[in-house]
Amino acid sequence: MLSITNLKVSIDEKAILNGLNLEIGAGEVHAVMGPNGSGKSTLAHVLAGRDGYRVTDGEVRYEGRDLLALETEARAHAGIFLGMQYPVELPGVNNMTFMRESLNSVRRARGEPELDAPAFLRRVREQAQLIGLDPALLKRSVNEGFSGGEKKRNEILQMAMLEPKLAILDETDSGLDIDALRVIAGGVNALRAADRSIIVITHYQRLLDYIAPDRVHVLAGGKIVRSGDRQLALELEQRGYGWIEEDAA
Amino acid sequence: MISEAQQSDWFLHHLSQSAGIMPGRGVAWLDALRSDARAAIARLTVLNRKQEAWRYTSVEPLLQQRFITAGTDIGAFRNLDIRPWILPGMDAFRLVFVNGRYLPRLSAVDDLPEGVTVGSLRTALSTDPGRLATWFEQQQGRSDNLFTALNSALINDGALIHIGRHVVLRKPLEIVYLSLDQERSLLVQPRNLVILEAGAEATLVERFVGSEKTTGFNNHVTGIQLSGGASLDHYRLQDESDRTFHLSSISLSQLELSRYRCTHLSFGGAWARTDCETLLKQPGAKCELNGLYTVGDGQLNDFHLRVRHMTPGCTSRERFKGILHGKGRAVFDGHIIVDKDAQQSDAQLRNDNLMLTRGAEVDTKPQLEIYADNVKCSHGTTVGEIDPAQIFYLRSRGIARTKALSMLSLGFAADISNEIKPEPLRGYVERRLLQKLGGEPDGDNLSEHHV
Ligand SMILES: Nc1ncnc2c1ncn2[C@@H]1O[C@H](COP(=O)(O)OP(=O)(O)OP(=O)(O)O)[C@@H](O)[C@H]1O
Ligand SMILES: [Mg+2]
Repeated sequence: MLSITNLKVSIDEKAILNGLNLEIGAGEVHAVMGPNGSGKSTLAHVLAGRDGYRVTDGEVRYEGRDLLALETEARAHAGIFLGMQYPVELPGVNNMTFMRESLNSVRRARGEPELDAPAFLRRVREQAQLIGLDPALLKRSVNEGFSGGEKKRNEILQMAMLEPKLAILDETDSGLDIDALRVIAGGVNALRAADRSIIVITHYQRLLDYIAPDRVHVLAGGKIVRSGDRQLALELEQRGYGWIEEDAA
Repeated sequence: MISEAQQSDWFLHHLSQSAGIMPGRGVAWLDALRSDARAAIARLTVLNRKQEAWRYTSVEPLLQQRFITAGTDIGAFRNLDIRPWILPGMDAFRLVFVNGRYLPRLSAVDDLPEGVTVGSLRTALSTDPGRLATWFEQQQGRSDNLFTALNSALINDGALIHIGRHVVLRKPLEIVYLSLDQERSLLVQPRNLVILEAGAEATLVERFVGSEKTTGFNNHVTGIQLSGGASLDHYRLQDESDRTFHLSSISLSQLELSRYRCTHLSFGGAWARTDCETLLKQPGAKCELNGLYTVGDGQLNDFHLRVRHMTPGCTSRERFKGILHGKGRAVFDGHIIVDKDAQQSDAQLRNDNLMLTRGAEVDTKPQLEIYADNVKCSHGTTVGEIDPAQIFYLRSRGIARTKALSMLSLGFAADISNEIKPEPLRGYVERRLLQKLGGEPDGDNLSEHHV
């Protein structure tokens, strides 16, 4: 599904990722953990196609294609979804209109028919209910004045609507109460399928209790410095990152 | 550079053009109005960039053109199909003017309630000039600059609206001004008078539209008088061809506890300017001026607003938003004056500009002139760009860049456009904004701007 080889990325001449390698197979869920500032969001942004990053070396292949050659929107059409660490507010852009435009853009690009208004409404209301998102939020401007948890639920709603093949969730669990955490995990688990993969970036082992990842990676200093199974996450919870960084150095 | 002599020649030239028979000739007050206006043109100093009102907007592009005064003959438009110019679903009383002339056959003002006069000013000036005398005399700013004087000197046709005491007009009243001459550059000078007596209520929608290639000059003057407790919700859509010149001069006076709300929507014109003067004359009057403008390549849009609080306890709210793309230019001047006696005045002014390209330019200037000591006044202007993080967010959801830009621009405009009450007009405005901005080429030109 996704194959990252020796990826080096810098921002304004500052190297952030320094030869990162990561393989994710179809149907797998991987957790990426790591200290603040280690480059997790940078990785997520580069995969989703955000401007401002310079890829100086390496390669990313997604379903056999050169991912980095694709425009941002084309990546979304190809099934990539990034749930953002800090979802941005879009004043004056109606949440419902936005989601419909988004879904139909993706459907058009895939040669599927657009959903008409009633069909879309049915679907978005249904999903919002599953996710426990207050339907009133659908009528407001995207993320504007949403609480932290509401923003994250709104991200999960979009993921559920778009049914991506590769979902990257960047700290979607941060700042959530325990109920919201279950909802997020439920959203992720509902998406799990043999032809879908998920990258969960998180600082907390407790999310992994609900999600049960296939692999856990530690990103430090711009590289994956350790990979393992769920046990690794538990170990990190107890011991922190110091020992791994020392090992890596 | 146009010399002073060339300038006065321009005004004299257009003054000398006959528009056929003038209505109400021989009526003393009207003759006096016209000749005073002529005298004013001879007396007023020529326009130049040293004058505050013309500092950022050059009149040269306008004065370099010569226009032909539109005739009174409407024969050619007798069989005009009005449907393409009507907003679908807009249930309204309607006055239609083509090239400045009233077309009764295309208008719809038959079943007006009692106490309401809506019709052609030309007709009223010919048949009942006595009734108009006092209204005209009360109106400020009739000939206080060269352009209003030019309009007054040649006063001929326009809309007359009079809503009697406590009459509530349930349907909006719409005035459609069509510019249809593509061969000649026409000078069209509508003159409107809008009077709401005590307690009257109405919605007025004015739309300036026309064929795509017209190149004329619309020199429009409107006087509005709101008596005690009257309430007017006013919309002005200027969506003429991108090659026309448009000047609207509006003078508004408000008496005790009257309410006025105007939404200016300005999208067209090569050179478009609105001068709007509001006098809050009696306590408790409230005035709200909202505006939305877009400019692109080859377009200038200018709003000059002046609100004067003359008595205690009046409120004014001004909120204007501009979206600039290509090499568009905008000027915004919001001037608030609070007289010495106008204690407890509450005045707020905002102007926000969204720059979609680095070639666009805006000059925005709020001015507060406050002579009272117990007042609440605030003003703010901003010039900004779309946040790249917002564009990324939309694109990462599969929405193409151009679409993302127009969605965000529409979002920027939303707090003004969402408050347009007649739904067909709101829909039109949203579609037009998308059209105006959708043609924007893809590019990375989103980073700088000048002020
Ligand atoms: N636009 C930028 N300009 C300069 N430095 C940046 C920029 N964006 C990120 N960085 C730097 O890159 C490094 C990695 O940031 P990144 O956001 O990827 O970290 P992270 O692993 O997601 O951290 P956290 O756990 O706190 O979210 C940090 O040192 C950060 O300051
Ligand atoms: Mg991060």
